[in-house]
Amino acid sequence: MTMLPDAAPGAKRLGLVIDLDTCVGCHACAVSCKEWNGGGKFGPLPDYDKQGPEPDGVWFNRVHSYEVGADDCSRTVNLPRSCLHCENALCVTVCPTGASYKRAEDGIVLVDPEICIGCKLCSWACPYGAREFDEEEGVMRKCTLCVDRIYDRNLPEAEREPACVAACPTRARHFGDLADPESGVSKLVAARGGKSLLEGLGYRPTNQYLPPRRATIPAAPREATSGTGEGFGGALLRLLDRALSR
Amino acid sequence: MRPAASILLLTTLTGFAFGLLAWIGAYAVLGLLPTMPRLAITGVAVGLLLASLGLAASMLHLGRMERAWRALSQWRSSWLSREGVCALLIYPVAILFAITLRSGHDRVAVRLLGALVVITSLATVLCTAMIYASLRPIRQWHNSHTAPGYLIYAVFSGALLFALLHTALVGKPGATDLIAAAAAAIAWLAKCAYWRHVDTQTPLASLAAAIGSPEDVQVKPLDAPHFTENYVLREMGFALARRHAAKLRRMALVLAFALPLGLTLIASMEIAPLAATAAALACAAIGLLTERWLFFAEATHVAALYYGRRV
Repeated sequence: MTMLPDAAPGAKRLGLVIDLDTCVGCHACAVSCKEWNGGGKFGPLPDYDKQGPEPDGVWFNRVHSYEVGADDCSRTVNLPRSCLHCENALCVTVCPTGASYKRAEDGIVLVDPEICIGCKLCSWACPYGAREFDEEEGVMRKCTLCVDRIYDRNLPEAEREPACVAACPTRARHFGDLADPESGVSKLVAARGGKSLLEGLGYRPTNQYLPPRRATIPAAPREATSGTGEGFGGALLRLLDRALSR
Repeated sequence: MRPAASILLLTTLTGFAFGLLAWIGAYAVLGLLPTMPRLAITGVAVGLLLASLGLAASMLHLGRMERAWRALSQWRSSWLSREGVCALLIYPVAILFAITLRSGHDRVAVRLLGALVVITSLATVLCTAMIYASLRPIRQWHNSHTAPGYLIYAVFSGALLFALLHTALVGKPGATDLIAAAAAAIAWLAKCAYWRHVDTQTPLASLAAAIGSPEDVQVKPLDAPHFTENYVLREMGFALARRHAAKLRRMALVLAFALPLGLTLIASMEIAPLAATAAALACAAIGLLTERWLFFAEATHVAALYYGRRV
């Protein structure tokens, strides 16, 4: 069924909250996602030309880096980009087969690889570029929010979170129920002014991004690369700098 | 957006096919079909053949062709599903129409079925157009020009095909050439209006909005997630040089609309009508394929913002 489900009272809205202030852009979430989903219920995730000059493949999570702010006081912001499990998921309603669906109970958007005909229309409907086509199986792939992990009763409760969240070394990724205002993720969003990506398009993404905190310490002037200092010490440093710069 | 040959063929061929069927249906409704039903029956056959070729081409676009039947199930939400249902509905309607016409007795039934042929044909073209018009991340598609444009190009290409069949089977060139010429002029205007519209559109979103930053903050791409292409860049990041686009636009206008307009006018003056109409059709086929290629190649997807592209 590719109609969007009506919001059931008390239904969860599971998603991620990603802290752009602390994300260091290490790609551990992306690699961990690839590892988990490559072997789990939704695997394998294909790779093409693995050892060749043009390696390519399906990843559910891609980490971009941007320079944000004017030149003299800019900063690097790393943005992990994956499915945002939107409330108004047009990728679901455009699906002609019912392979794409949004779960009423927790809002997770999934693709049934047994039904998908690989028409790629859902990937066109997603403004976030979150869906990637599996050339080997001929079906569409996307982030599952590790639905095969978060409900797995064989795992200790603390480990029932998406692989990307578990892998993050700076704890920049948080998982929880965004429909519950008392949940940890909802409180984080409220406290830090969480933002939706491309809010103007009206997809109402579940995943939220915490903006980088405003730097309160003024940036020190840039160090000159050479020519610092006077006297013998300065001359030695200049000599060393020239030697190392070769 | 990457112009896939399968989709270009689908939309162009079904434009000709359903446009032709719509004209035959409309002529039947108005009681204008010549007394000999040969024209209508040949037209229905040609229309269904072209539609089948287009639909077959579209199957090549699918990753899992054998599951294509599943695409008929979600007509309540999906324009692609609706397109499939409407396209399949045309076959029984058009065949029944042809049979009724051949038996030649029941004029009311012919008119009723003719109306049904018009409705199903144009509804299918509309569904095709709405697939594109409903996609919010692509500003060149998600606008008020897309759906009327597709209908106009289908009606125009069908008019050309109808004019050729009319000249070939009925002989004396009639109003059909003038109708095709008028349709060419309208289609020409519609395409120019579309290009003027997309050329003056503001970008759908900024990179700042894409990363959730305030609009007044400057954001520049620093590092991409990967050094080589991936599906998103191949499919949604297709970029066409503006210089090439201008040249192709001129080529599309001349081939798709200007030459057919001139040639059908020549045909209407009974100067080599068959050759002129056939040439008009050939030009239009190449021109409309070019126009359709541009419709995809010039369309930008908002997801390409994340890779620092302009959308």
